[in-house]
Amino acid sequence: MGESSVIWLRVAAGLYSLGLIDAVITVLRRSASLFRIALGAFAIGALFQLVSIVEQGLAQGQCPVTDIFETMSFCAFIITVSFLAIYYRYKAASLSVFIFPLVFVMTLVGALRSPVSTWTNPSIRNAWLITHIVFALLGYAALLFTAAAAVVYLVQERQLKRKTSNAIYKMLPPLGTLDELISKSLGAGFAFITIGIVIGSIWAFVEMGTRWIGESSIAISFVTWAVYLALVFFRVSAGWRGRKTAILSIVALLCCLLTWVEHAKLGRFSQ
Amino acid sequence: MKLLVAGLSHKTAPVDLREQLAIPEGTLPRTLQELQKLGASEAVVLSTCNRVEFALSSPDDVEPGSIIDRFFADWRGSGLSGAFDGHLYRLEAREAIQHMFRVAASLDSMVVGEPQILGQLKAAYAVAKSEGTVGGLLETVMTKAFNVAKRVRSETGIGQMAVSVSYAAVELARQIFGSLKGHTVLIIGSGKMGELAAKHLRRSGANRILVTNRTWERAEEMAKTFDGRAVEYSQFQSILHEVDIVISSSGAPHYILTRDDMQRVIRQRRNKPIFLIDIAVPRNIDPAVNEIEGVILKDVDGLEGVVSANIQERTRQAEAAEKIVLEEVDRTMAKLRVEEIAPTIVSLQGQLEEIRAAEVIRTLRRMPGLTAEQVAQIEIMTKSIVNKIAHGPISELRRNAGQPEGSVVIEAIRRVFRIE
Repeated sequence: MGESSVIWLRVAAGLYSLGLIDAVITVLRRSASLFRIALGAFAIGALFQLVSIVEQGLAQGQCPVTDIFETMSFCAFIITVSFLAIYYRYKAASLSVFIFPLVFVMTLVGALRSPVSTWTNPSIRNAWLITHIVFALLGYAALLFTAAAAVVYLVQERQLKRKTSNAIYKMLPPLGTLDELISKSLGAGFAFITIGIVIGSIWAFVEMGTRWIGESSIAISFVTWAVYLALVFFRVSAGWRGRKTAILSIVALLCCLLTWVEHAKLGRFSQ
Repeated sequence: MKLLVAGLSHKTAPVDLREQLAIPEGTLPRTLQELQKLGASEAVVLSTCNRVEFALSSPDDVEPGSIIDRFFADWRGSGLSGAFDGHLYRLEAREAIQHMFRVAASLDSMVVGEPQILGQLKAAYAVAKSEGTVGGLLETVMTKAFNVAKRVRSETGIGQMAVSVSYAAVELARQIFGSLKGHTVLIIGSGKMGELAAKHLRRSGANRILVTNRTWERAEEMAKTFDGRAVEYSQFQSILHEVDIVISSSGAPHYILTRDDMQRVIRQRRNKPIFLIDIAVPRNIDPAVNEIEGVILKDVDGLEGVVSANIQERTRQAEAAEKIVLEEVDRTMAKLRVEEIAPTIVSLQGQLEEIRAAEVIRTLRRMPGLTAEQVAQIEIMTKSIVNKIAHGPISELRRNAGQPEGSVVIEAIRRVFRIE
């Protein structure tokens, strides 16, 4: 496994992270102010990734899809190129909310393959782990708010539609306020969870070397993150409100619960 | 004096009939004059979007019903009068008074308790006053009606619960959008209630008002009063996705917004909620749109439901209000009857006094030798006899005035004493 190809891949991941920041800003502020820059960084990142893949392929004398890391990177590259092509053709900017974070995390996973020397200092290791846990929990909390607000939104809309209304609707917040709360908590939660998962992946990579990718708790974390990502995407691009948001946010919340349970088993690592 | 209220309201006639009979403000004085010419002693005409009513009084020997018959026959040609058969109501005497009290207290309104009707009634009274067509029985009843309305408002919660359609619209809009700032309102048609609702929404922060109307001039005129923008009627569907609140009060006889229309709009809005208020009768918006996610539709009944969050409470308040009205009707009737028997009492006393005076003179002529003191004694004695005789019938008259069977007793007394 070529050292330099990993370095190119890490540079690409760094560039893709701009896309992630753009996605979060889009969700929170509902304005795509960083989109142009992120798109540029994305294109350059794709070049670095291409270099990395070609170098790896030449070194191995075959297409570099031999393990999960290479496959991830390869996949991310295909998605990136497809997105750039679709964007060029259809100007489908709203897709970026979904694509940018996805490509970033996939590339990051791909870049975490060649083992590095283990922790130089146990206190750094612990600080790293605590940071991961704090961000993940902040993300869960935000998701809880999202799900609760989404359910209340559903109830409130029903109440408002009723012909003979009782006074319940007066006790619930207005739909507009709930909508605002859902957007804000969803954006913040997504940012927290993404940071949490990145830190967690790096920690696991340092801790376990290439073995980390096979852990069930990590796999389930990625699934949770993907559900979160889908929620963000449908919300921003398709304007999901009401029933669909409520259902998907509850699914995401259940995934979080599963992840948490799995991580409780993982407790042994931190000892 | 005889009293009559005739007319039609939202309870008895559809909008298109009410519209035909509606009397524009400018022609009110002429209508009042006409009623007086036909024989009415007094006349008041109330014309709002929910009712057209004529209240009149006439001398005892004139049937007020015949005045109104002739009025309808003369007015706008005889071809029209047939269309109102079965929609017109006529109330006389006690029932007329009760009706006027109920209207003033907003118990007969489409949105029970809404305060606008009292103002409209006062305006109608003011026109009649300035035309000199009130000043007697009808005036007494009307001023009493204003007092009754005040009493109902202060003693029951009916006013707080149902302020009006526009109030309910704002209340609901707040519950949907939170703050109304930066939201867009579209008014379709030129109904009075729609205009009021839009005014309230604007005052509550909705700063962009669009107006559309089949008649472009009317749309422009209304847009000016709201500082808004007029939209071509044929174009309004295409801007619907920019609108957060739609108030529809057009006179269209069919649905102008269908389920398909709204499905398209909500897609364009990316599921952002839209609030539709349909205060038109017949309705302008297909009720099925309420099933679409993100669309909240309220018609007049629905808005009413909002204000009267608690139906039972509302019924209780309405019952209390009706009780007040009945009480006041009884009191007014009693007062009117007391006024009615006053002439009887005066003539009774006059007649007895006449007999007494004549008999005293005759007796004194036959007895010339009496001293001044003796004459005075005779005067006192006869007066007290007459007073004692009169006491019975007069107190019976007073006691029976305003009673259900009172008029029989009063009539009997009049006959017994030969009072014409």
